[in-house]
Amino acid sequence: MKTNTFILLSTLVLATGLSADSPEEHARAISEKTVAPVTIGKSNQAATTSTLDSFVRVNATIQTFNAGQPWQRNGPQRRSGLGTLISASEILTTAEMVANQTYLELENADSTQRVQAQVIAIDYKANLALLSPIKEAPFLKRKTPLQLGTPARIGDLIDIWQFENNGTTLKTVATIRAVDTSSTFIPGYSFLIYTLKGSMQSASSSFTLPATRDGKLIGVLTSYDSEDQISEVIAPEIVSTFLKDARDGNYEGFPTLGCATRRTEDEAFREYLQLSPRGGGLYVSRVRPGSPAAKADLRVGDVLLAIDRSNLDRRGFFEHPSYGPLPWTVLIRSDKMVGDSVTLRVLREGQLMELPITLEAPQAPLVPTHINDSPPPFLIKGGFVFQELSRSYLRAYGDKWATRAPLSLMYAMDNPDKYEEDRDSIVFLSRVLPNPVTIGYDSLNGIIINQVNGKSVRNITELANFLKEAPENGIHTIELDDTPGTVYLDATLSDQVDQQLLQRGLPALSRLPAEEPLPQQAATNNE
Amino acid sequence: MLRHFVAVMSLGLIPAFAQLALPPEGAAPAPTPRVASATLFDSVFRLEVATQTPDYRTPWNAGGFSGGNGTGFLIGPNQILTNAHVVANSRRILVTMRNSSRKLPATISHVAHDCDLALISLDDPAPLEGLIHLPIGGMPELDSEVRAIGYPVGGDRLSVTRGIVSRIDFRSYSHSRADSHLIIQVDAAINPGNSGGPAIQGDKVIGVAFQGLTQADNTGYIIPTPVIKRFLTDIEDGQYDKYVDLGIATFPIFNPAMRKALQLPDEDRGVLVTNVIEDGPCDGFIEKDDILLSIDGNAIDSAGNIKVDGETLVLHEIVERKFAGDTVKLEFIREQQTQATEITLKPLPGSPIFAAQYDERPQYVLYGGLVFQNLTLNSMSAHRLSDVTTRYLTSNYLNKAIFKERPEIIVLTRIESDALTSNMGVFEGSILNTINGESVRDLQHTYELLYDVKQPEFTILEFENDDRPLVIPSANIDAVNKRIMKTNNIPTTSYLGE
Repeated sequence: MKTNTFILLSTLVLATGLSADSPEEHARAISEKTVAPVTIGKSNQAATTSTLDSFVRVNATIQTFNAGQPWQRNGPQRRSGLGTLISASEILTTAEMVANQTYLELENADSTQRVQAQVIAIDYKANLALLSPIKEAPFLKRKTPLQLGTPARIGDLIDIWQFENNGTTLKTVATIRAVDTSSTFIPGYSFLIYTLKGSMQSASSSFTLPATRDGKLIGVLTSYDSEDQISEVIAPEIVSTFLKDARDGNYEGFPTLGCATRRTEDEAFREYLQLSPRGGGLYVSRVRPGSPAAKADLRVGDVLLAIDRSNLDRRGFFEHPSYGPLPWTVLIRSDKMVGDSVTLRVLREGQLMELPITLEAPQAPLVPTHINDSPPPFLIKGGFVFQELSRSYLRAYGDKWATRAPLSLMYAMDNPDKYEEDRDSIVFLSRVLPNPVTIGYDSLNGIIINQVNGKSVRNITELANFLKEAPENGIHTIELDDTPGTVYLDATLSDQVDQQLLQRGLPALSRLPAEEPLPQQAATNNE
Repeated sequence: MLRHFVAVMSLGLIPAFAQLALPPEGAAPAPTPRVASATLFDSVFRLEVATQTPDYRTPWNAGGFSGGNGTGFLIGPNQILTNAHVVANSRRILVTMRNSSRKLPATISHVAHDCDLALISLDDPAPLEGLIHLPIGGMPELDSEVRAIGYPVGGDRLSVTRGIVSRIDFRSYSHSRADSHLIIQVDAAINPGNSGGPAIQGDKVIGVAFQGLTQADNTGYIIPTPVIKRFLTDIEDGQYDKYVDLGIATFPIFNPAMRKALQLPDEDRGVLVTNVIEDGPCDGFIEKDDILLSIDGNAIDSAGNIKVDGETLVLHEIVERKFAGDTVKLEFIREQQTQATEITLKPLPGSPIFAAQYDERPQYVLYGGLVFQNLTLNSMSAHRLSDVTTRYLTSNYLNKAIFKERPEIIVLTRIESDALTSNMGVFEGSILNTINGESVRDLQHTYELLYDVKQPEFTILEFENDDRPLVIPSANIDAVNKRIMKTNNIPTTSYLGE
């Protein structure tokens, strides 16, 4: 499905058909695609609520970091959407709205009053964020916090709220057409969503919009496809789990099992696995070491038949009591929290068994899938620029990143098991800033670092420490995973070069990961 | 410096070979040739070639029938020199002589796809009597005048264009996509159909026209005489043995800290050996981290260049002019000691992965709807295999010695529709690792493991880039094969070469 995400994404996470790079361009793209103003028509009669006064504009100034020159930020962009007041001081919006923000404010509908805001909790994968004003704001006090609604059903009418430029509140009624899972922000992490059908207007603040039913908040609209008039709304189950987790003061995120599965539609494969011809089941193809699945002794080759009492069909769908068939991940990543348990029913070599599992927060992977809000770590030594590998870095190679990014880095991302031993992250030479010390090395880029002065490099902090120690005969020896195998750095000269780089305007020679992650950040992870 | 190891995809280069086209009506009469060149022109022929191009997508099929024309010229008794790409995949070659309309059948005597040269002969050499054999000259001077003679598009009769030698360089030969040799760039017009024609200076051949550049004007490329002479010498023993290689990768030693760390004097000398290909000619003689100082007595500078007769050449050019079995002397530093060794040259393994294949029928194995092929440049491009795993295996095939365990990389390229295979589509393009637990070495081995061994109840296939096995119940495999072969018109369960 072609989806025009309303929010202006940075190019790193742009997963839509639009290739807009600036807010202006994006606005144009939307207006070209959007059908002229709506007549709500028939569904108008079915409108369920009069105007609600619980919404605020959320304005964010977004600055992402430059992947190739990680010491600097890309140019600022402005992003604007709506938030919903859910208590006197809590505003719910999407993570996409506030990710990588450098300034955040809340504004009333007619743009006459503003207050600066901060992020209390954010989940990039679930695409939700909880904000609060940094000081009391009279216009917020006059608003009525919305209660959370209960799960809806297919066919229910939902109100989508927008602000006009003049401050008028605009309501569009849409119908829940289907319930599904979708990755609304970070690719690869799908969560429960409602698919809505209804024609919306391209008003100002027409992205990250509240969705209500019977005057209660049921979710947040994340995207709207004007061609098909389809929008996606994060489901109330996800919102309520997020809030429950966020309000206890320690945001842990949605839990995972830590295994990968494959469908079992292939009859020959079913026969081999001793599965009944009519039944379902998912083949367990990978179990992440140390994960809850591994601790519960789930093994590669097992067949997952049921989670708690929900049977999985051969595509991995279970029958939700009100939504119908949904992917099995909903059973783990929807209303469950870290510390909750589930029971897996598993077939192992023809034997049925039950495996109780306590769910945990996802482990940090060797190559993080996304980096938001935390600036990418880097180290410059003698003009050599070292970084830690992340999917975000590789995606910065543009549309054809999978073929344009350095092959050995792509391979490392796809095969972390081949690199995991001795490493917390993959440290690589991302580029060389040409200077007298780097003569002959200027063209090196995208090469993984194995050792420095004979010592294995676990992470970039270690690399920085090793390079601080005076090497034998004054030359650092850096072992690479690829041609030319070894590069050499004169310790004294490289320090001089680094000082010159600072004089040439580089703000710093390194940015190493903080000892403690910032409290508002959810860990980056893999399913 | 990995140039010799990796496939060079020279997208901009097009072989100057005309596709089959109808002759335009009312061609202008040929201009009166200059008397002095008349006999020389008579020894340049038009070649008309019917081709059959193998189909690597459906390897059991006959392939596409097509054709084109090029040029060839007489260099010896019934020896007509042309480009390999003119006669590649040919089924019939017809030679037309100047001022004659007779089409004389010819046969390939020798073909060298790695340097784009071929020698053909007429089935009946009688019409060649009395024609001069064009003499092969030397290297021309930069800026000296050359004439290109041939039968390019734009008419039926002989064409002569004139230009100068613009550049002498070491460049990619687009026909094989993997090879680089010496080339001469000229600004004489070289167009489709000129391929295989001589470039003449005075009355001597100084090259064979063979390719152009699509995005530039007046850049024609010709194969210079050192390459031609090497080809002619190589085939003297009756067969073509291909180019040989040192089988090492080198890295320049410009960097001052690097020179200091390697304890080298601050001068412009020596390159670092960064990789030695296992089983290659240098394996056992040269090691990683050695510093090469000279090759056959020619000092190697820190960029890997040598000086021969005042010309700067890359060190590999010494090897370029040698043959399998020839030796080369290397002087190098290991652990601060200068040493010397003599190595015997041989070709590198694995060329089908890097070099385009011609005149070969694609090989395959069919098993219950699964079609396996060995990974070659041809099969890779036919099936658009460009995933990270495939690229990683091919680009590390030599330097990580993948060829030792996998002389061929086997890919499940197709899955033919059948009740058995209807849910197996995700495996298309996967690289086969094991059959019933045994690692597959090559396509022949794949066939043996599937057909020559009694299969267990389930044949289990494991793949490099898939985390679940593919399972085929072996009971009814004959019936499935029969059904699939009938539906898809596949004549045999395998083709594994002659």
